Amino acid sequence: MNNQTNTMAGDPQNESDFVFDRPSFWATIFNLKTILNIISVLSLFLIWGLLVHFGVYRFVLIPGPIEVLEWGIEWMGSKDFWMDVSLSSLRVLGGFTSACLIAIPIGLMIGWNKIFSDLTFPTLEILRPIPGIAYIPLAILFFPWQEASVAFICFVGAFFPILLNTITGVKLIDRDYFRAARCLGSSPRQIFWHVVIPGALPSISTGAALGMGIAWMASVAGEMISGKWGLGYRIWEAYTLIRYPLIVDGMIVIGILGLGSSTFIRFITLRVIPWRKAITESLDESITK
Amino acid sequence: MSVSDLKATSLFWKQVRKNVINWTTVRRIMSVVLFLLAWTILVQFTGQFHQIPTPKAVFAALFQLDLGGIFIEIFRSLLRVLGGFFIGLIIGLPLGVAIGYSRIANYLIFPAVEMVRPIPPIAWIPLTVLFFIEIESQIVFLTFYGAFFPIVYNTMGGISEVDIRLPRAAMSFGVSKLGMLWKVILPAAMPQIFTGMKVAIGITWLMVVAAEMIASKGGLGYWVWYHHTVMEYPMVILGMGIIGLCGALCSVCIDVIGKRFMKWRNIF
Repeated sequence: MNNQTNTMAGDPQNESDFVFDRPSFWATIFNLKTILNIISVLSLFLIWGLLVHFGVYRFVLIPGPIEVLEWGIEWMGSKDFWMDVSLSSLRVLGGFTSACLIAIPIGLMIGWNKIFSDLTFPTLEILRPIPGIAYIPLAILFFPWQEASVAFICFVGAFFPILLNTITGVKLIDRDYFRAARCLGSSPRQIFWHVVIPGALPSISTGAALGMGIAWMASVAGEMISGKWGLGYRIWEAYTLIRYPLIVDGMIVIGILGLGSSTFIRFITLRVIPWRKAITESLDESITK
Repeated sequence: MSVSDLKATSLFWKQVRKNVINWTTVRRIMSVVLFLLAWTILVQFTGQFHQIPTPKAVFAALFQLDLGGIFIEIFRSLLRVLGGFFIGLIIGLPLGVAIGYSRIANYLIFPAVEMVRPIPPIAWIPLTVLFFIEIESQIVFLTFYGAFFPIVYNTMGGISEVDIRLPRAAMSFGVSKLGMLWKVILPAAMPQIFTGMKVAIGITWLMVVAAEMIASKGGLGYWVWYHHTVMEYPMVILGMGIIGLCGALCSVCIDVIGKRFMKWRNIF
């Protein structure tokens, strides 16, 4: 509840200049929005709990919220949990970083240079519709080392969102900037460093946040099929060992980590590239795949 | 052949030369050729990748393909994809419209949706296997889950980003509430709804492959996994190509349908 008060008190809507307009302290907490939001979240858990409690259809098999909480606390106390989290994060980070290092330069070049675009884009366009999961057999073949094969699947998942967003980012730069830069006598290299890269950065960050989410998803799949340790592996093991509440715990941890890393990228972006705000927010949703 | 005919044909060839056989096309073809060449060289002449089949082997595998069998697998996967996709559409579209259109529904539903969304669909596999008895319904549930969130989020986003002048204009003409939704808001949000559907079908294909690899009950994902276990690697790559092709075709289909739905949007 304390958290709610903090966020609601800082709501700019309520900070009116007129004293008599300002709603009372309790009104800021208990307005319609907060109440309905709390009802929404509570009802999610309540419906889950009730369905499990009364065993509707096959819900008998699904662990209930309290059970999940108990198992989760136990799991968080053990060494396994930290091992899983750190190893999964390292794999995702490895795949994601390599995807960034390869996709961003290629994307910038494709967006900027017509000849390079013609030479590389058709091939990438052919490879793009193949989902990352389908690479699992190949990844197992490719890398003798299992860690690398999971990281490779993350890499494939993160690569195309980052690449496509980088290309769109370059294409969306106002042509006038190029003309202005050229009029002021800048060389192509200067245009690349001072126009293309800053112009594309907002879109690149969108792509990176998206790619991060997909990399997490791919890591789960990779670990389920080929892996040892890691959250995906833990979920699968919990299923085979009939420790069902642990499955839900694993799902929740993966969700939190995935959301956290995407949010972290967005947060960093706002700090590092303040001009991102000028780009419409719709970019986030409209350019995805 | 008269002179005008000759002129017409020469003009035709000029057009062809200008639009079809130019450096861009050559470079595009070069791109694919270079890729295949690099692939061959990497596999043939470096020790690292000797297990990966060459393009030649993949091409040869194309002729050994059991066409009837592969079409059945494609059909199975496609049915699962479309089933999940349409269930996602039937549930997700009204939900997205409700969240985008009504403030109360937004407050009431959105936080719950937002809490479930970050869990990747693949992490749902064990619970789904527990919950559903039939393998078909397991797979369809997973594809549905993959399709659901992109559709809901894009519908919602599309509706909340409708230019406010459009509803205002409609309101001043005295449109009813239902008419506003049906004739103004939904058409205006249509482009983004279709973007969401395109994303959704991509994720659906991904989910179907993952689910079939684990469930091993037919379908393209199982086909690829089976050929992996019996070490017929050219077939694996061929299967990946077929999966990619199917995904791309589905995405193109949605584009075509979207164009028919949005005839006023001929700019794109």
